[in-house]
Amino acid sequence: MSPTDRPASLSRRFTVAVAVASLVGVGLGALLLDAARGGQQRARAERLAVVSLNALTAVVDRVWGSEDTKEGEGDFGLGDELAALEQPAETTKDPGAAIRGAVDSFAAAHSEAVAIRVVALDGARLVASTADRAAPAPRRLSVDEKAIFDLAQSLRAAVAGNREGAEGAARAEEIAVERRGGGLLSVAGPVERHGVVVGMVQMETRPAAAKGVFAWLVTLLALIGPTLVFLLLSRVAGERRRALALVGAALVIAALALFGRTALGTLSAERFATEEAVAARVAEEGAKTGLSPAAWDVDRFRQPQPAPEAAEERDLRRMTRSVLTLSVFALLLLAYVGFGGARRSWRAMVDYHVAYAYVTPAILGMLVLVFFPFLYGFALSFTNANLYNSDQSVFDLWVGLDNFIDILSDFKFAQRTPEGVVYDYTNFYWTLGFTVVWTITNVSIGVSLGLILALILNQRGFRGKAFYRVLLILPWATPTYITALVWRGMFHQQFGVVNQIVQIFGHAPIAWYDSPLTSFAAVLTTNGWLSFPFMMVISLGALQSIPGDLYEAARVDGAGRWQQFRSITLPSLRPALVPAVIISVIWTFNQFTVIYLVSAGQPAGATEILVTESYKLAFEQYRYGYAAAYSVIIFLFLLAYGTWQNKVTKGTEAIAG
Amino acid sequence: MRDKRSGELPHWPLHVFALLMVGITVYPILWVLTIAFSGGQSLSIADLPPDPSAADRLRAIAPWPEQLSIENFRSLFADQPFARWLGNSVIVATLTTVLGIVLACTAAYAFSRFRFPGRRAMLMSFLVSQMFPGTLTLVAIYIIVVQWLHLGSTYVGLVLVYATIAIPFCVWMMKGYFDTIPRELEESALIDGASQATIFFRIILPLAKPAVAVTALFSFMTGWNEFILAATLMDREAMYTGPVGLRFFVSGYSEQWGYFAAGSIVAAIPVMALFMVLQKYLVSGLTAGAVKG
Repeated sequence: MSPTDRPASLSRRFTVAVAVASLVGVGLGALLLDAARGGQQRARAERLAVVSLNALTAVVDRVWGSEDTKEGEGDFGLGDELAALEQPAETTKDPGAAIRGAVDSFAAAHSEAVAIRVVALDGARLVASTADRAAPAPRRLSVDEKAIFDLAQSLRAAVAGNREGAEGAARAEEIAVERRGGGLLSVAGPVERHGVVVGMVQMETRPAAAKGVFAWLVTLLALIGPTLVFLLLSRVAGERRRALALVGAALVIAALALFGRTALGTLSAERFATEEAVAARVAEEGAKTGLSPAAWDVDRFRQPQPAPEAAEERDLRRMTRSVLTLSVFALLLLAYVGFGGARRSWRAMVDYHVAYAYVTPAILGMLVLVFFPFLYGFALSFTNANLYNSDQSVFDLWVGLDNFIDILSDFKFAQRTPEGVVYDYTNFYWTLGFTVVWTITNVSIGVSLGLILALILNQRGFRGKAFYRVLLILPWATPTYITALVWRGMFHQQFGVVNQIVQIFGHAPIAWYDSPLTSFAAVLTTNGWLSFPFMMVISLGALQSIPGDLYEAARVDGAGRWQQFRSITLPSLRPALVPAVIISVIWTFNQFTVIYLVSAGQPAGATEILVTESYKLAFEQYRYGYAAAYSVIIFLFLLAYGTWQNKVTKGTEAIAG
Repeated sequence: MRDKRSGELPHWPLHVFALLMVGITVYPILWVLTIAFSGGQSLSIADLPPDPSAADRLRAIAPWPEQLSIENFRSLFADQPFARWLGNSVIVATLTTVLGIVLACTAAYAFSRFRFPGRRAMLMSFLVSQMFPGTLTLVAIYIIVVQWLHLGSTYVGLVLVYATIAIPFCVWMMKGYFDTIPRELEESALIDGASQATIFFRIILPLAKPAVAVTALFSFMTGWNEFILAATLMDREAMYTGPVGLRFFVSGYSEQWGYFAAGSIVAAIPVMALFMVLQKYLVSGLTAGAVKG
């Protein structure tokens, strides 16, 4: 569209563009800010509840401890255990009465605590409870309360695991936090004696509703300000496109920057309120219980909370990133509407609405379940996402190209040791090499067997053609997963029929999956079995379409069999075989089922191909980011191959159709 | 000039080779039948004496059970949840077919009959999407379906994924068929005052019945035989599909080869029969797609 086209509408169109860009940009920003504030308020409620829980735990711990020392002789863990062993669980002196007293007085002092339970793991007993009036403590936990017992168990496992866990291993949460319906917050922490978790304290609270100020005035200004100012300035700028675009962009960015500053202030105020409230709660609990509140304000791992400055800095970083992203988005929107893209799209939508109506469902499905997953996987490949941090956003886990560098720069697939060369079968280059060998051997076997059989069946006067054809095609008809499992059974070391045959020839049974070579033989046999019929059918079709007169003429000219084959048969096969080879290269390269079900990569990943390795990284090791990077590399290989073969077959023009 | 017969090879060595290949292709199938009708769960066809002779070993590879029994089939449905798994497969594959056909027919019709902005880009993107490695999208699909939409171990989740994944192949196949239906039919209908919808439902779809049928059967077979997505998305035992359930019989420490063999036969015979009937369409569809891609 030329600038002179309907000049009168230019400033009007840019006004609409500025309005849309600022409304959407700031509007989304307001939604994000609201979510961030909500998150902070929830975090505050959680911290306050954890402080109270730790105070309660300390109280319970003191009472539990006093009973304990009265009962035992010394403070030796072994003595306690022996004492517990000597006495049956029933008669073990229950420190319950003192605990119940402590819990009741704690509950009386805390109106926001709806329910408090103390559970002893030994004997699955409910030691104290302020909630279960119908069946008051002390008693055994009932079957319905299995969830409570499981929670206590998991806390014990978490504490023990974190103590034993190697440095840097993912830690498990030692305080369980659960949001219940009706604004209830349930927190639970372990009770320890001599370093062993013996019970659990659980508290349900109803946190006071959080109040906060939302900077309505600034938000409103950022929302509609740019449009109003633009209306004035556009008079000055006149109908010049570039000037209008620049003014609009500056206004939208200014509005977003203003909003970002305010949002940062709001979050900062929230954080300040949180720190204040927590400090007040700690002091209050210390006073109420008369205990030292040294380590009460902790996170779910019972580690000290990070310094507020670090959190502040993280907020600033996030906010900057959000505002930048929003600005880019808003500017794109501005350009799209301002330069007429939106109007052209709209016109196309109206003009071709029937066509779009027909394709929309399919395109929507593809966007959500094919293209978005692809882009998401692509983004994941730049992160260190794994099972334990999958609740964090992609940006927080960003590691740039680290995964790719890790994968591609590790050339140590073979190492010389005193015992000889040791291979690292999980190395990328080993797997890549194996995949290439696997693909080439399989396709060669498939093509040669298929072609030979097709040539045989195509012999003039060959009897039983239909019989052979039907039986030889069976492997293709068999579902691949069944084929794979059947061959795995037949290669079984002790009972498989393959080893029975081996033994007929006097050889000892072979452990097929114990060495890379025999394991390769097993998967190759399986895949060869299921892949040659495809090639046979394709070749047979092509052979049958060669007119018989060609051979007749060649014979008249005195051409021999080999000459006929080379100058008539092979050239006629080419157009059918080339696409078939291309597609079977891609199939074999991605032949997940056979490898995964037959050899499962044994031994030690030696017969893993790229796709099965990346599946295992994702779903057995849960290294989502690393596995995604692996898959992106596979995609690049396939893309390169596709581009190359496209050039070779010059098939692109067919697409325009 | 040479004698006409002298150029021909003698046929008997070719027969020997072809028969050998038939033996190799048929043996695993006979083996499955043998295990299935053996009535036991063992992998071996015959129990070997402690010091087996060559004849014993031959017996152990001959594909005929020591005793014929249909116990495995009876027990598969009576004692094992296989009927439930097969039912899951029927539901998933049927819904996939219906949804897939609706999505593919409409889109393919538009691609065949209309020229609109974005058409080329969409068709190209369908082709490129075939190159996405399954494992790359699998992680994201798992996160979207299980963690975000909470559709793990549900029919809806698996059906949505299957139907969309089948779209590109089905669209290209249907578009090829629509392209062969002459436009004059629609033009004369338009002149007679028929609406777009009428043309599509009353004229085009009935004419494209064979293509619709073939596409439908292929999407059914895909949904019926698919293994990886089903294994990843359906992790509750009651929601296993046939393939996942069959693997369950022989994975880990479970070695119930009798159930596996009997189940394989039940699950495979319908699709193998379908395949035999339809394979010539599949060949032309695949090679056409490959040339274009």
